[in-house]
Formats: sequence, structure tokens, C-alpha cells
Amino acid sequence: MESEIIRAAALLGAGICMGFGAIGPGIGEGFTAGKACEGIARSPENAGLLTRTMLVGQAVSESTGIYSLVISLLLIFAV
Amino acid sequence: MKKKSKKALLIILAIIIIEGILSIGLDHELQFGFDEGKFVIRNIESEKSIQDQINHEFQQYHMIKLFGKFTINWSVLRVILFVDLFLILFAALVRRKMHLIPGKLQIVAEMLYSFFYSLVIETVGEEKKYFTPYIFTIFVFIWICNIIGMIPIPGNLEPTRNLNVPLGLGIMALVVVHYSAIKEKGIGLYLKEYAEPLAFMLPINVVGELAKGISISFRLFGNILGGAIIILVVSNLTRFILIPVGLNLFFGLFIGTVQAFVFTMLVLSYTAVAIK
Repeated sequence: MESEIIRAAALLGAGICMGFGAIGPGIGEGFTAGKACEGIARSPENAGLLTRTMLVGQAVSESTGIYSLVISLLLIFAV
Repeated sequence: MKKKSKKALLIILAIIIIEGILSIGLDHELQFGFDEGKFVIRNIESEKSIQDQINHEFQQYHMIKLFGKFTINWSVLRVILFVDLFLILFAALVRRKMHLIPGKLQIVAEMLYSFFYSLVIETVGEEKKYFTPYIFTIFVFIWICNIIGMIPIPGNLEPTRNLNVPLGLGIMALVVVHYSAIKEKGIGLYLKEYAEPLAFMLPINVVGELAKGISISFRLFGNILGGAIIILVVSNLTRFILIPVGLNLFFGLFIGTVQAFVFTMLVLSYTAVAIK
């Protein structure tokens, strides 16, 4: 009985972790893409450099979401 | 020389085709591997429930026992060796005939290399261009590792899906960054930089340096593993009809390329910050 409660709590925690962890990267990546769009509209000749920098910045801001994914996978499979 | 390398290519292709043909089957698949020191070819009953299947994907077993508790994960090492063989063969094929007027293969290699050459020069400067081979190699290795999972052979999983591979690459990058920082500034100035704004910031700076390596390796691992799990779940829901192709294009090609590039760019910018 007790182990079932622990398992249910771990699954619930995994869902909550992934849900809240996805908010920050969503906002951050959207903001980065919007700013990159503005930059490309202002100077279209730098589009390649801007896209490259945008992708790197998005991947960095995505890392908190990836951490929450790893933690929720641990909660699902390791608990 | 030419005939030899062509022969080697043909042999590798034949091995891939034979392995693919042998493992056709809906309910069981064939896998090569070492089991307790012996080379075996055996059937693995594929699990029905998706939970078991994800568990199976997680635990790529086929461990070789060396001594004591020291084991080698053969199912990951095999794919890494295959990637290495592919890269060495590609390099040999390109190096075999270098001309001033490049052929098709040489044009591809020169384009890739000169892209990273200009990237290194505009990030760390003209006089530090000796970083280019390391940066280029790390990108090509991670890229091939990420997209090799798209070849539909059972057991042909991405090596970066296992945490040990990205963690090893991250530790290697940390060693390169700190070694070049010490070589550039001297040991005294390098140690002084840890207590830079104030003396009691030292533990925070040390943890920050360690977190860089953990952060880049976990980013690569999480992206590849998350994509693999999504592909697995959706393929099971749709009975492997057509949708997994698009998912493989996105998670395999796009995410794989972007993550390899991001890993490379981050190593490069850590180096640029460290040696400045």
C-alpha cells in the first residue's frame, strides 16, 4: 500500500515538474525568436548570423526544460 | 589504394545490409553481441507493452565484464566504433586525392571545414586557429552520432542517448578549456581568477565551472533521449504508419544537427571566455 502511494506521488510529481518546467523555456524561446525576427527585419543582410545566434540562445534557454525532463524521467523510472 | 578503400566501403555496406535483412521480423529481432565472453547471435523477444519497451530502450544491456565491477556497454560501444570507422573512412577517401581543383567529396569536406575555421577565427581570434581540428572533430562526431539512429536497423541506437557518452565529451571539453586557460595565462593568474570580484566568491566560481560541463552534457543527453521516447510512443500509437518518418526528420535531423552545433558553439565560447 505504502509503495503504491509513493509510486503515485512520483508520477504526479513528474507531471507537475514537466508542466512547470516547460513554462520558462517556452517564454524564453519565443522572446528570442521574436527579437531575432525584429533584427532580421531591420538588417536582412545579417540573417545568417542572427539565425545562428538565435539557435544557440534558444538551446541555452531550453536547458532548464531539459533538466525538468531528466528529473521527471528519473521520477518515473527510478523511483 | 583506391581499390582497397572501395572494397572496405563495400564490405561495410554488405555488413549493414546483412544485419538489416537478418533482423527483419515483427515479433523478434536478431542482435549481435558478446555474452559472457562469447560472440553470440540471438533472438530477443520484443516486449508488447509500451512501458516494457521504454524500459528496454533505456537499458541497453549487453555488458562485457572485464574485471571486478568494471564493465563495458557493448551495444553503445559498437555504434561508436561504427561512427569512428565511418569518419576515418571518409577522411581517407577525401585525403586520397587532394587537388587544387576539388572533386565532389573534397568540396563537401572543404565547405564544412572552412565554416568552422571562420567560426573559430571570429570567436577566439586569428592566432588561436589551432583549435579548429578539435572543434570540427567534436561537431562531426556528435552530428553523426545523433543522426545514425535514423538508419532503421534494430540495435542501431544513438550513442548520445546513453548519458556516459555526452558526459565523457563534456569532461573532455572542460579539460581542454582549463588546460588552454592555464597555458595562456599561467597558473597564478588562472587561480587568481577564481577569487575575482571578492574572495568569498570562490566556492560559487568553482561550482559554476563544474556546472558548465554538466549543463552541456545533460542538454545533449536530454534532447536526444526525449526525442527518442516521443518517436517510440507515437510510433506505437500509430502502428508505425508514416508519421514516424516526419518525427524522425524533425527529432533526428533537425534537433540532432542543432544540438551538435550548440555543443560545439558552447565549447568554443567557453574556451574564448577562459583564454581572454
